[in-house]
Amino acid sequence: MTDVEPWQPRVVAFCCNWCAYAGADLAGVSRRQYSPSVRIVRVMCSSRIDAGLILQCFEKGADGVMVLGCHPGDCHYISGNQREEMRVQEVWELLDLLGIGRERLVLKWISAAEGELFGSTVDSFVTLLQSKGPVGRVTDGP
Amino acid sequence: MDRDDIFRKFHAEACIGCGRCTYACVAAQRYDGFSPRTVAERGLSGRGGEKVTQLWSCTSCGACTQVCNVGVDFPQLIRGLRSLARRDEVPMAAHHGVLTAVGRLTSSPTLRPRSANWVTPDLQTDPHSHTMLFVGCVPYFDVALRYIRDDLLDIPRAAVRLLNAMGVRPRLDPSERCCGHDAYWAGDDALFERLARENWQTARDAGVEEIVTFCPECASVWRDLYPQVIGDTGIRVRTMAEVLAEAIAVGKLELVAGEDVVTYHDPCRLSKGAGIVDQPRKVLRSLSELREMPRSGLLSACCGTSGWVDCDHTAKRVQVERLQEAAATGSEVLVTACPKCLVHLSCADRHHASELSSRVRIEDICVLTARRLHREPVSSTKE
Repeated sequence: MTDVEPWQPRVVAFCCNWCAYAGADLAGVSRRQYSPSVRIVRVMCSSRIDAGLILQCFEKGADGVMVLGCHPGDCHYISGNQREEMRVQEVWELLDLLGIGRERLVLKWISAAEGELFGSTVDSFVTLLQSKGPVGRVTDGP
Repeated sequence: MDRDDIFRKFHAEACIGCGRCTYACVAAQRYDGFSPRTVAERGLSGRGGEKVTQLWSCTSCGACTQVCNVGVDFPQLIRGLRSLARRDEVPMAAHHGVLTAVGRLTSSPTLRPRSANWVTPDLQTDPHSHTMLFVGCVPYFDVALRYIRDDLLDIPRAAVRLLNAMGVRPRLDPSERCCGHDAYWAGDDALFERLARENWQTARDAGVEEIVTFCPECASVWRDLYPQVIGDTGIRVRTMAEVLAEAIAVGKLELVAGEDVVTYHDPCRLSKGAGIVDQPRKVLRSLSELREMPRSGLLSACCGTSGWVDCDHTAKRVQVERLQEAAATGSEVLVTACPKCLVHLSCADRHHASELSSRVRIEDICVLTARRLHREPVSSTKE
């Protein structure tokens, strides 16, 4: 068969309610096309995402995880995004140890006005994952 | 196995309700709602032993069975009930479930973990050696539990250094997987068997004849549990405590004795699990003066929590009590032979320091021993 669809990675994007989710919304209302591989999960603050949740995503079949929050200083809860940065640094180390690789986890600050940045971040991450292929895993997610 | 089979298989029907287990049990000390006897009684009266509250707080330390008059195998009974209970309820994970996730993720056959990144140039390893040092999850602890202790990687390094001093250059598995200890005791048989087969295949393909571990849990898994899945592995398994005691006895290890006073906390898998009580004490006596705590040896206290589940302030209370017991002996150092005990006791020491009247330093037996290695003066001509 020649018309086999290319492999599509599964990406979970955790977006904070106040900035990144609004940014994703802006990308939508401005009709900015972005990769359908991404599944957006709205959280109140990026710091809600602990190391265990990120590892669980990979366990359940994600090929990449994005944590998107407010720019430093813009956090609705004052310093949540700084805390999240510390957590993500820890997960980067764990992903290297596990052989998954830190490049499969992206942390980025996206404001409510940056719809274009949201779209381009998603697209470039999905392109990267397409070149890397799936993560080896036991259970395949839905 | 259904519930009745589990109760029969592990002799719960023999329970006479004397309550000795309750006095020995660390989980009963933490929660009023739990005791090994309650589990047996509820099961026998048909009220569902797996529905006991705090079923996950059992640390499977084995103190209950140690004191039981009629030989009920409580840890295995609870493990069996957990395998039933986990269909409806998952335990409350500690440390955000990171270490449980590491166990599950490393069971993937296509994943190649890279956890041997702690080897420093002074450590001699040999990829063709028949002796393998099984490192376990300490490299992951070093990331996830760094806020408790930032020197955890000293343990594997010290183990290699000590083996080198005995003339052994161990092999390291560059993509080692979780040993599956926690999965086994949480009643997750499928995951445990997967990990057992993966690890066994790696060791067999590499021609490993002997496995040395500094973690008693890894040792118990390799020695007692993998044979249940695979059959005879043909691999000799020893803990560092045994290796060190033997090397000291035959004079293969030159150590410098110190003036300090230490006390020793027996890890469950090493003492109650494998009966290894004298060997670590022999090692410590050759280094320092050893003072015993009231609860030691086969009747040692548990460090409070296990399997990275169900840790809370009641577990900290148990640990603070143990630290006070250690300080009361007048020792400067509390030595243990299990990285998990080390982490748990260090956590209580760090976060509950205000409750401690006097503090002890908490050290691993390998790290302490490696620090006392007799070193020849360094000369520039030596390789």
